[in-house]
Amino acid sequence: MRGWISKLTTNQRLAALALALGAIAIAATVGPQRTATVNAKELLTRVERGDDHVTPAELAVWIINGRADYRLVDIRGAQAFAAYHIPTAENVPLSQVADGGLARSDKIVLYGDGGIHAAQAWMVLVGMGYPRVYTLLEGLDAWKEDVLFPVAPANPGPAEQARFERAAQVAKFFGGQPRAAITAGPAPAQPVPAPPLVAPAPPAALAPGLPASSGAATPPKKKREGC
Amino acid sequence: MIAPLEKLGWFGDETSLVIAFLIGIGFGFFLERAGFGSAKKLVAQFYLRDLAVFKVMFSAIVTAMLGVTYLAWAGYLDLSLVYLVPTFWIAQLAGGLLLGVGFVVGGYCPGTSIASAATGRIDGVVFVLGFAAGTLGFAVASPLLQGVLGAGELGPTTLPDALGVPYGAVVFAVVVVAVAGFAGASWIERRMAARDAGVR
Repeated sequence: MRGWISKLTTNQRLAALALALGAIAIAATVGPQRTATVNAKELLTRVERGDDHVTPAELAVWIINGRADYRLVDIRGAQAFAAYHIPTAENVPLSQVADGGLARSDKIVLYGDGGIHAAQAWMVLVGMGYPRVYTLLEGLDAWKEDVLFPVAPANPGPAEQARFERAAQVAKFFGGQPRAAITAGPAPAQPVPAPPLVAPAPPAALAPGLPASSGAATPPKKKREGC
Repeated sequence: MIAPLEKLGWFGDETSLVIAFLIGIGFGFFLERAGFGSAKKLVAQFYLRDLAVFKVMFSAIVTAMLGVTYLAWAGYLDLSLVYLVPTFWIAQLAGGLLLGVGFVVGGYCPGTSIASAATGRIDGVVFVLGFAAGTLGFAVASPLLQGVLGAGELGPTTLPDALGVPYGAVVFAVVVVAVAGFAGASWIERRMAARDAGVR
């Protein structure tokens, strides 16, 4: 064996090495990783600090301001997505979240109907080394309650009233409707339940109605790369 | 540590320019040391007398390919973040033919012309001037060429995706083609040398 190798020129040895490495590489798997490793302490600290979510109100402001430095990801099925989704969202169903469509370099905000599925996807992505993943706190349910159909406060002070008026403007921007206050009556009244959502909310069409909406129609900016 | 480092925020645009500069110096140094600062050496490949350019470039491709494959396999490189130049097969075919014609006529390709100009060769300097004028001319004319420039668009495409073949199989096939190419190139060089000797 040794005598045979020593007869080869350097070039021939390098060629043989390349062929051997190439042959071994046939077995290579270079696709997205399928396993997630979680640093439990770090993960729990992040959750405790609240560094794992954005609130519906924060997200609404981001969308109105036309921020394009994050990806809003709807992890529900395609049907639910078609029925309604938050403007600017893209659909990546839960089972496909780890398939490589989402890049590690992206800032990602996940949401589902409630908070649980998004939190599960969050955990998987954080475990796969995605450094900037967040969930929408309490998901679409909270989006409806807080952003689309905010309830007027019962006996508002001036600050509270101003806050509600801003929320009402935001609700109209997203095609929602503020709800009347809970008035103290003989029976403790429940707030009117939020109406069901049918059509996807028109994202930029309502923009002129809102003063802070100038950037809402700006398409996401892509960093140009290449040579 | 997972690469690409720039994409994952290890350093910013400024630092990446410094790193690109250092890599560029290394690239230019090895081009020059391989003799590619001389148009005579480069053009000899078109007369099939010296196929060093073919061998060097193909060795670089195979080395980089094996390195990337093993790094990604070991989990140190996220291939989904590596930038792919989008494929415009018609436009790139036409561009490749034009570049080939320029290479044969001028004796250099863009990178080697700069290496040559840096060593003070006059033909290299002239080539770089022409290359700069052509780049400017292209920039001015490109609005008129929009239809041609986008011809044959396939988006970012890789051989495993386009052929529906596993990644590793393509890697092995490229190595086999390269090694066969080296053997063939050496055989052609010997044939040409023998013929030249016979003619004299």
